[in-house]
Amino acid sequence: MSQAEAVAPKFKITLSRDVIDVAYRLLAVALICIVLSLVSDAFLTTNNLLNVLRQASLVFFMASGLTLVILTGKIDLSIGATVGLSACVAATIIKSTGSPWIGGLAAICIGALVGLGNGLMVTKLRIPSFIATYGMLWVAQGATYYYMSGQSVYGFPPGFRALGSGYLLGIPIPIYLMVVFMLLGNFFTKRTTYGQQIYAIGANSVAGRLSGIPVNSRLNLVFILSGAMAGLASLIYLARLNSAEGDIGETLTLPTIAAVVIGGTSLFGGVGSLFGTFIGGLILTLILNGMNLLSLNANWQPLVTGLIVLLAVWLDMKTRSKTDSN
Amino acid sequence: MKKAILLISILSVAGFTAGPVLADGETVAVFTKNQTNPFFESIRVGATKAAASVGVKVIQYVPIKPDSIPEQLSQVEDAIVKKPNALLFTPVDYKALVPAIEKVTAAGIPVTGLTDKLAGGQIVSFIGAEDYRLGLETAQSLLKAMGGKGNVVALEGVKGAISNTDRMKGFTDALKEFPNVKLVATQPANYQRLQALQVMENIMQTHAQIDGVFAANDAMATGVVEAMSAANRKAFIVGINGSQEAIDLIKGGKMHATGSSDPFMQGCLGMLTTVRALRKMPVKKELMVTPVIIDSVNYKQYDVPVATRSCPKIDDVATN
Repeated sequence: MSQAEAVAPKFKITLSRDVIDVAYRLLAVALICIVLSLVSDAFLTTNNLLNVLRQASLVFFMASGLTLVILTGKIDLSIGATVGLSACVAATIIKSTGSPWIGGLAAICIGALVGLGNGLMVTKLRIPSFIATYGMLWVAQGATYYYMSGQSVYGFPPGFRALGSGYLLGIPIPIYLMVVFMLLGNFFTKRTTYGQQIYAIGANSVAGRLSGIPVNSRLNLVFILSGAMAGLASLIYLARLNSAEGDIGETLTLPTIAAVVIGGTSLFGGVGSLFGTFIGGLILTLILNGMNLLSLNANWQPLVTGLIVLLAVWLDMKTRSKTDSN
Repeated sequence: MKKAILLISILSVAGFTAGPVLADGETVAVFTKNQTNPFFESIRVGATKAAASVGVKVIQYVPIKPDSIPEQLSQVEDAIVKKPNALLFTPVDYKALVPAIEKVTAAGIPVTGLTDKLAGGQIVSFIGAEDYRLGLETAQSLLKAMGGKGNVVALEGVKGAISNTDRMKGFTDALKEFPNVKLVATQPANYQRLQALQVMENIMQTHAQIDGVFAANDAMATGVVEAMSAANRKAFIVGINGSQEAIDLIKGGKMHATGSSDPFMQGCLGMLTTVRALRKMPVKKELMVTPVIIDSVNYKQYDVPVATRSCPKIDDVATN
């Protein structure tokens, strides 16, 4: 009885702090949305908003696992290459066996294995994660190129394709998946011991170890999760694009890291959230959406993207320092 | 164990373990940009087939990291040491590789240019295709299919890449011949499939009526096909490269056409020209492969594995 009373108010406080945090995070998004709805009639329509969310979901899947890694103060540069490798292997398996389940399982396992490799290099061999995962990037990419030898694999069964291009009650299926994983991830990071330990390692790994956190096994875990999420993302990619080729992962890594950082997760670890990462991915997606809706000249697009990203991060830092001082 | 085998294979692909130069028969080192684009695979097949037909040995140099300048630079150094009789060379960057090629010619090894023209240096001959004509003729095929009217969307490749600039120039010039076609949007998707899908999804939000889409390569065109069919919309869609995937989509009625600069033929003619020069037979300073527009009418002749196609004879090349 008295225990329950003691827990209840504490729960309330953390919840309201989360709510404030969310509200501030949404500020940059809201600002971009207001501007876009003023300049384009097509922006504020159900169709377009669902379209934006579906595009953001792919970024979220890749970025969510990466967020855990970055929360521990490490980095995973092999994300894109892992997506490419998982996608290509899964694609050939789905084509040859006709079973999306085996292919899907393979994609997630390969991702997890790559992640385990990253984790072991960091925890056992003591290689800094930047270098370990940079090396892994080339290994995974090289393996993919060798495996595909310049060919592409395409044409998957409709049941599998629904994972990426299907609808349920008028809403694209990847959006449901994103919500499910966001809730799961949020629970994992905020409400479990594992999650708290991940934050603690990022905040101060030495103190973490001294206080009895199994730092190495937690680090292995976040790298495995990062790889597995990349594997899952590769399935969404396949289902959406209906095709895989060796180079698909090449351009994915940097925007994924950007999504995490724009979402307010510190590269030094210990600070950040999965919801923030969702917002980060959403901002990047909205920028592309807006530029396409307005038919912005191709020459201006990189410049505009850069400026809006900087503005969003600045806004986030500005508001965050306010909540911190409160 | 498996990993070790894989690593060795990767290294050999990159040419690090390529065999020693043998004294009998000429050896030609073939440089292409990457392992990932089937275009260069077709070039390699064409060059290899042509070489086999005239008793020439081939060393393939391909960067592991696609289009990597430092890797190709070191591969050129490697070739200078191995001293093949000639180089058949596609630069990963038309400016950055000029000094390296100057070194090759200084070492007494003749160079034939392939696909992308170098900004300088001495070459025996250049074999390639004009991206301008490819863009022009692919666009003409699209605009004709649209009946010379309606709304068209263009997806650009990598800004600043010459191939993109030339293809888009071809598209723009073709558009001038069809004054009743309205260009409603030109947006970049960097030759990438996923970007093309997303950009097309976005463009469809503002334009209710899209009758044709010009994509500057096939990867983007297939992204457009996915975006439009997911939204239950139809349009004439064209791409460039003549990839097998595009040919299959043309067969299935989902794409209108793909322009091909016939990489297999480029590989054949590149190798044969190189060998002709080595054997003191006359060669043209520049040989342009005629673009091929593959559509629902003629796709059958290109819907065969590249390896089953055959190269022209070495004696027929100069007049080709």
